[in-house]
Amino acid sequence: MLLRRGRRASLLPARYKALVIRVAHLTKRYGAHLAVDDVSFEVGRGEVVGLLGPNGAGKTTLLRTLAGVLGPTAGEITVAGYDAVRDSFEARRHIGYMPEAAALYVEMRVVEYLRFRAELKRVPRGSRRAYVDEAMARAGVIDVANKCIAHLSKGYRQRVGIADAIVARPPVVILDEPTAGLDPNQIRHARALVRELGRSHTVIVSTHILSEVEACATHVLLLHRGKLVARGPMAALASLRHERGASVDLMVRGEADRAEAAARGIRGVQSASAHGSEDADVITLRVTFAADADAGARASATEDVVTALVASGLGVREVRPAAGSLEEVFAQLTAADPASAAA
Amino acid sequence: MKAFWPIYKRELFVFFATPLAWVLVVVFLVVQGMHFFLLVDHFSREVDVASDETPMSAFFGNTVLLYLVLLVLVPPMTMRMFAEERRSGTIESLMSAPVSSAAVVLAKYAAVVTTYVAMWLPTALYLVILGRTGSLDWRTAASAYLGVLLVGAAYLAIGLCASALTQSQFLAMVWTALVLLVFFVLGIGEFVTREGTVMNAICAHVSVWSHMNDFASGMVDSRHVIFYATLIALPLFVSTRAVDAWRWG
Repeated sequence: MLLRRGRRASLLPARYKALVIRVAHLTKRYGAHLAVDDVSFEVGRGEVVGLLGPNGAGKTTLLRTLAGVLGPTAGEITVAGYDAVRDSFEARRHIGYMPEAAALYVEMRVVEYLRFRAELKRVPRGSRRAYVDEAMARAGVIDVANKCIAHLSKGYRQRVGIADAIVARPPVVILDEPTAGLDPNQIRHARALVRELGRSHTVIVSTHILSEVEACATHVLLLHRGKLVARGPMAALASLRHERGASVDLMVRGEADRAEAAARGIRGVQSASAHGSEDADVITLRVTFAADADAGARASATEDVVTALVASGLGVREVRPAAGSLEEVFAQLTAADPASAAA
Repeated sequence: MKAFWPIYKRELFVFFATPLAWVLVVVFLVVQGMHFFLLVDHFSREVDVASDETPMSAFFGNTVLLYLVLLVLVPPMTMRMFAEERRSGTIESLMSAPVSSAAVVLAKYAAVVTTYVAMWLPTALYLVILGRTGSLDWRTAASAYLGVLLVGAAYLAIGLCASALTQSQFLAMVWTALVLLVFFVLGIGEFVTREGTVMNAICAHVSVWSHMNDFASGMVDSRHVIFYATLIALPLFVSTRAVDAWRWG
């Protein structure tokens, strides 16, 4: 039986080998509530996938189904070539999962807990100590190895949760909100850790904070009301935001009318509007480029605008892309239907 | 079933790492010690006991103390087994490991039964004392302990099942106590219903009292054994289904 399973995995076409997770039309329903609605995506080996979405979007449910804690209502999940329902055991062996808020057995010491988890995940007795030591070193919990988990701070508990997820050296690591409730310093640590994990594992990390995904992910899945609204490599999403916000903001010292007049009429510029700021004589001029302007045209238009402003005796203090943060893109994508925008 | 062993070890560890188990063991041993002392005192005074009753049959059977103690001990022993894990969310990481529902249920059950056996173990000293001061039939003793094990194991299985069916430890405790109480009250029914009626037959069949009387006098009735085996297997089966149900809920 085992042999057959192994063979089946290795007989998969080459393109599937690079795929670690394949989700097809996954649906999870709780009674009448549709938590995950017909979600399909693929995750390749070595990717760090940020699963983004507002609270209640179905992120945790999706991760639980991937981790084998919940069974799907419909659809298919394949982990490392194993079906998550039919070959649930094998699928679960290939995944390290840290649940939300890293629930741990608080009455155990860190090292005891990790040894227990390693044994549970079938790490052979001989290599258990080495696996636990390595996981503790990578997660940075060696200095609290002999402390009771009940006495650890939230940041350390989160790290123990991550150590638990990687202790059996699974190819896929799933972390549900690894930075929730941490202070800024701990968040930095956690992000660095996720990036570091990305070098040796395929990582799926959920969060509702965009900057978090920007900081550590290579790919993004955007979930909203149980549906996947956007997915793709980080770079694609970043360019999306440039397309949507094809404009620059200039901090200009001088009168608003003169600034607007100077910027208008320049080739490649569609509109220019100025509004004041707290600083009385400094205004913010937003220049929006023509829709057909490509990156080069925009760059030269920006130069022309600056030259024109300086020529008309105005001081240019700062130029920055107004492009909006990923936050704006996020808001636009998730507010697609009016009902949720109102909510 | 490979997951059985680590979970079993952890459950035992938790029992004895928390004060609850020690408090229960102490209460149990104090009550049983007093019980034993009173019995021995009683028997040493009445020199010509006409009946065939021995201190041992009185200790294990024909006494309300055994069930009262179980009624107080079993619910707190089993209430946290699943309810606590579900409330704190640790069940999620447990089920994300390659474990089967049956392994989880059996490991937890085996751990709590082991604890129960460990609680009774010191009472073997009473037998040693009885054996030194008088004659003791070791086979009757074995039968009495088998009865104690079966009754306890059945009650613990019911408690485990209650814990799997609710997220609240308190509710699990109340439910367990209620079910045990129903069995106890039904058992009393054996003495208050008229003989020959269906009710009397039912009450007699589930009466822990008469079961333990038989076991304590050296009678291993296969009907009793099957009754308790059912009381063990059914709740464990329901618990396994409950654990499965969380996944598909």
